[in-house]
Amino acid sequence: MSRRRALAILPFCVTALLAGWFLRRALAPLPAPSPPPASVTALLGGEDSGGFARATDPRAFRFPDDHGPHPEFLHEWWYFTGNLRTPVGRRFGYQLTFFRFALSGDPPARMSRWATNQAYMAHFALTDAEGSRFRHFERTSRGALGLAGATARPFRVWLDDWSAEGKNASTLPIRLRAVEDEASIDLVLDTTRPIVLQGDRGLSRKSAASGNASYYYSMTRLATRGSVRVDGVSFPVEGNSWLDREWGTSTLEKGQTGWDWFALQLSDGRDLMFYRLRSGDGVTDPFSAGTLVLPDGSVRPLSPDNVRIETLGYWKSPESGARYPSRWRMLLPSEGLKLEVVPRIADQELRTSVRYWEGAVGVRGTSRGEPVEGDGYVELTGYGETGRRNP
Amino acid sequence: MILRLAGLRHLSRHPLQLMFSVVGVALGVAAVFSIDLANESAWRAFRISAQTVAGKATHRIVGGPSGLEEALYATLRRQGGMRTIAPVVEGYARVPARPGLTLHILGVDPFAEAPFRNYTRGTSAGVDIPRLLTRPGAVLLLEETAKRIGVSPGNALPLQVGIEPALATLAGFLRPGDEVTRQALETTAVADISTAQELLGKEGRLSRIDLLLPGGAEGEKALSRVRKILPPEAEILLAGARDNALEQMTRAFSLNLSALSLLVLVVGTFLVYNTMIFSVLQRRQLVGTLRALGVTRREVFTQFLSEAAVLGAAGTVLGLLLGYLLGEFLLGMVTRSIGDLYFALSVREVSVTAATLLKAVGLGTFGAVAASLGPAYEATSTPPRDVMRRSAIETGVRKILPAVSAAGAGLVLLGVGIQLYPSRSIPLSFGGLFSIVAGYALLAPGAATLLVRGIQPVLAAAFGTQGTMAARSISSSISRTGVAAAALVVAVSTTVGIGIMIDSFRRTVSDWLDQSLRSDIYVSSVEDRRGPDRTPLPPDLVEGVSSAPGIFQVTLVSWQTLESPTGFTELFVMRMPRESFNAFRFREGDARTAWEALHGGAVIVSDPYAYRHGIRKGDTVRLRTDRGERVFPVAGVYYDYSSDQGLVGILGETYDRFWDDRGVDSIGIRLSDGTSAEAAIGRIREIAGDRPVLIRSNRSLREASLRIFDRTFAVTNVLRFLTVLIAFVGVLNALMAIQMERGREHAVLRAIGLTPRQAWGLVAGESAVIGTVAGILAVPLGAAQALVLIRFINRRSFGWTMQTFVDPWVLLQAVALALAASLLAGLYPATRLARSSPARALQEE
Repeated sequence: MSRRRALAILPFCVTALLAGWFLRRALAPLPAPSPPPASVTALLGGEDSGGFARATDPRAFRFPDDHGPHPEFLHEWWYFTGNLRTPVGRRFGYQLTFFRFALSGDPPARMSRWATNQAYMAHFALTDAEGSRFRHFERTSRGALGLAGATARPFRVWLDDWSAEGKNASTLPIRLRAVEDEASIDLVLDTTRPIVLQGDRGLSRKSAASGNASYYYSMTRLATRGSVRVDGVSFPVEGNSWLDREWGTSTLEKGQTGWDWFALQLSDGRDLMFYRLRSGDGVTDPFSAGTLVLPDGSVRPLSPDNVRIETLGYWKSPESGARYPSRWRMLLPSEGLKLEVVPRIADQELRTSVRYWEGAVGVRGTSRGEPVEGDGYVELTGYGETGRRNP
Repeated sequence: MILRLAGLRHLSRHPLQLMFSVVGVALGVAAVFSIDLANESAWRAFRISAQTVAGKATHRIVGGPSGLEEALYATLRRQGGMRTIAPVVEGYARVPARPGLTLHILGVDPFAEAPFRNYTRGTSAGVDIPRLLTRPGAVLLLEETAKRIGVSPGNALPLQVGIEPALATLAGFLRPGDEVTRQALETTAVADISTAQELLGKEGRLSRIDLLLPGGAEGEKALSRVRKILPPEAEILLAGARDNALEQMTRAFSLNLSALSLLVLVVGTFLVYNTMIFSVLQRRQLVGTLRALGVTRREVFTQFLSEAAVLGAAGTVLGLLLGYLLGEFLLGMVTRSIGDLYFALSVREVSVTAATLLKAVGLGTFGAVAASLGPAYEATSTPPRDVMRRSAIETGVRKILPAVSAAGAGLVLLGVGIQLYPSRSIPLSFGGLFSIVAGYALLAPGAATLLVRGIQPVLAAAFGTQGTMAARSISSSISRTGVAAAALVVAVSTTVGIGIMIDSFRRTVSDWLDQSLRSDIYVSSVEDRRGPDRTPLPPDLVEGVSSAPGIFQVTLVSWQTLESPTGFTELFVMRMPRESFNAFRFREGDARTAWEALHGGAVIVSDPYAYRHGIRKGDTVRLRTDRGERVFPVAGVYYDYSSDQGLVGILGETYDRFWDDRGVDSIGIRLSDGTSAEAAIGRIREIAGDRPVLIRSNRSLREASLRIFDRTFAVTNVLRFLTVLIAFVGVLNALMAIQMERGREHAVLRAIGLTPRQAWGLVAGESAVIGTVAGILAVPLGAAQALVLIRFINRRSFGWTMQTFVDPWVLLQAVALALAASLLAGLYPATRLARSSPARALQEE
């Protein structure tokens, strides 16, 4: 499975459920010190995946159906991130993610309309670079009774009043809405760029084991316009968003502790995705991978051999004590790319049921000597549990 | 020091007397303490469980009789932008494996629960959430509850909801983080909301939606947003309102018990007064001597008071122990009564609070001290010379007797005035009752003197000189006999009062049952419609029974509870033929016009409802229907003794226009001529199949109703019994003291020629006279107490109109009780006197 998110999700889901169920903080942006998140690998690797479909071979993707849910798989997500700007140049970053996970293999045959084997969790985060504020929110719900769910025709995924939906009968354009008291977004996303199938024709392997993979596709550059509201003030915004879609049943191998995921949109029209799976000793796992999408939509796969990442700085979360890498140099010698990736603000840690860092970044550098810049999102997981191997 | 020794010595020389007064205080304290314990424990359990179930909710949305449409919840979340809201489906199920155990099924949505409740704080991963959500029937129980039932995780747990079976599975254990929550969850099964709907047969419905709203303007804004979305049948209430309403319901009930227990204590403190009076009298010479030797008044006074305090303390300690045991016993009764009368309550442990303890200790000790103030004053206020002469006391007492009697009359009048004062305050009524009792007690010595004088000729005629002597010795020693008689009167009259009250009530209810139970056979799903597991009958059963052959007429009724910001309203929905309706008795209006008005959409209200809400025929009641709030004209006020909160009676056809729930709780069947009850019951059983439907004949339903009635008064009867006990002990104590104290007098009589037999007769006769006089005097006071209890206190507490039945047997019992106690009390001194040698008794001087 591709990236990090995948990983993130599962543990999230399971823990969030546990947490949500009566542990108090699930619904609120939680300031409370959480119990150490269950180890990602333990949860993902140890999952009893009996009864679920597995991603073993490349499949023929069919759209718009594949924009909808795949409930036979253990987990799935719709991952929207984007960088936005007001007419006067004030920068915002946003993340709106819907996670779906199955609680059991078969849908229950039961009388109550509340009964379901599908659960949803969503994260909404807004980065206000100028105000140097990061706000994030989490919601969970069962996928029943219209409380949360996903459909392909028309395209729609929602949890309460957070939603992503196709405006017309078609999938695109997609309208994103998330409302909280302190922050909200209402955006319309559209693109002419083709869908990018990640990995081997959309099959993204996470390890050598068969089935330890996910189906993964992206829409790497979605022109975005709409409004962002912060503390009661509404701003018109424009920018680019990125959609990652992934579903599968298993994820991390033992020995894999987390991942660093980069999704960058460059000013020269290229989009770069790379996830680095980290082994316990900090070494880059050989199953790390990525793609470089050219302006014409053609795709070049990237392997760990093509990408070099140096960490230039660190940031320590005052809340969790976790130490995250916080600035990077990315070198893609074969593409002549030299990039420096810098978080818009340092603290973009989501202190949700499972802690991770997911934030807007700025990019500056050169492409074969020519200056290039860009925006992007980075996700860092597995840093809260430094030193812990799978139990 | 010498004083203290003297006191000690005195008490140790009169161990029986000492014991009796300690027992008197102990019984009084036990009565107060045990009632308090039972009441308090019931309350505490109620509050805790209410809080535990309500969690941190600030508001709740409730619907009509069948709850809310479940889609409302999703609408509130998706369109109302409400985030801290949680749906709840709840109900009750019996556990066939453990007869008597009823589980509260609490269905919640784990995804929404976080801000509200936390039942698994003690564990981080003990509960398998996916399994709880996806496995049909999965529930969580406390480990101890699971053990009690004998089910372990993964096992099937068969339940019975109403008369339908339901299958649950134990999915894991609840692990509350604290003891209070644990107690509250003892009979709770927590399930996913889907499971609760399925187990309880409530698919599509929610019992309520809990809200957690911020205070201030923000909360107001949210409220108005919610209100815009609410359908007409829904209402938003403060979370505490329901619990307050429930507490309010039972307040009168527990207040009555508390007041009656206080009455028991009052009777108990009479004993202390009695003992101290005698203690003073018997030591008058010692006190006189000491005073003459220079001991100050203050020292003597303090000595007597501290003796009383010690006595009170001893009695209190004993009373607390006794009260605790009694409290455990009473708790079951109180809980059951609350269940019978109001709502289900599960309490297993008596909880002692500091306040309860303090109250009992304070009442016991200070009661004893206060009761001895008079005697102690008496001992110190008279000059030493006079103290040594008992005639001085008698003269003094006789002198103040008119004043005492006047004060007594004043108190009685005050008490009567209080009753007549147009108020609905229950404490005021009890205050008035106490005033009457106290006043009457003050009147008692004077009245006793008169009465004794009155019967003196009778006694003289019957027993000659001995008769005259017995009578005269009583009136001449009025300082002691008066108090004894007063104590006896109060005690006996209390038993008379409570007895008449219960009796009247029972007869009223019994008559009412005779009138209103007009069907031959009754079919229902549970024994008690107020029971927690109350469930409507399955529609197929109602259908089948109604159309079975051999049935002449069918009456279908249901009780529906409407919740409003001010409390609950119970609707009594009637689908009955005219003939059945004619059985209703009306306080205002009549069956014929009411029947017509009911068909025009009016309602009738029961007597307690009318009393509580100040409603008369021709007024209107406002009810929250499934179509919104509606106003209904009141066509009459009818007598009903099934609910002290009152009922609003409505015809099925009217109900159906405004409410959607179609449940039927009970079927009344009148058989056609020639159909045997056995055949009809057999047919109903056939329709029911293996569902354990409850089929009762007219007689057995009547008996069951009276059984519940008797159960409600079980606690009152215990109190009555305690009063009898104290009365008995009191008389024993008083009379024994009198006789012992008059040992010398008797010795003189013996010395001048009274045979042992005659002496025995004299003493026994005196006792009998006191007993009889007290017994007779107790009757009017008892009747007065009964009247106050029936006309004022019960009316104010429960809104019931009762007829007053005075069973001569109760009165006779009272006199017999007094007489028996007196005779028994006279037995020991009489025998002692008969056996004693006059010379020795005289020598002791």
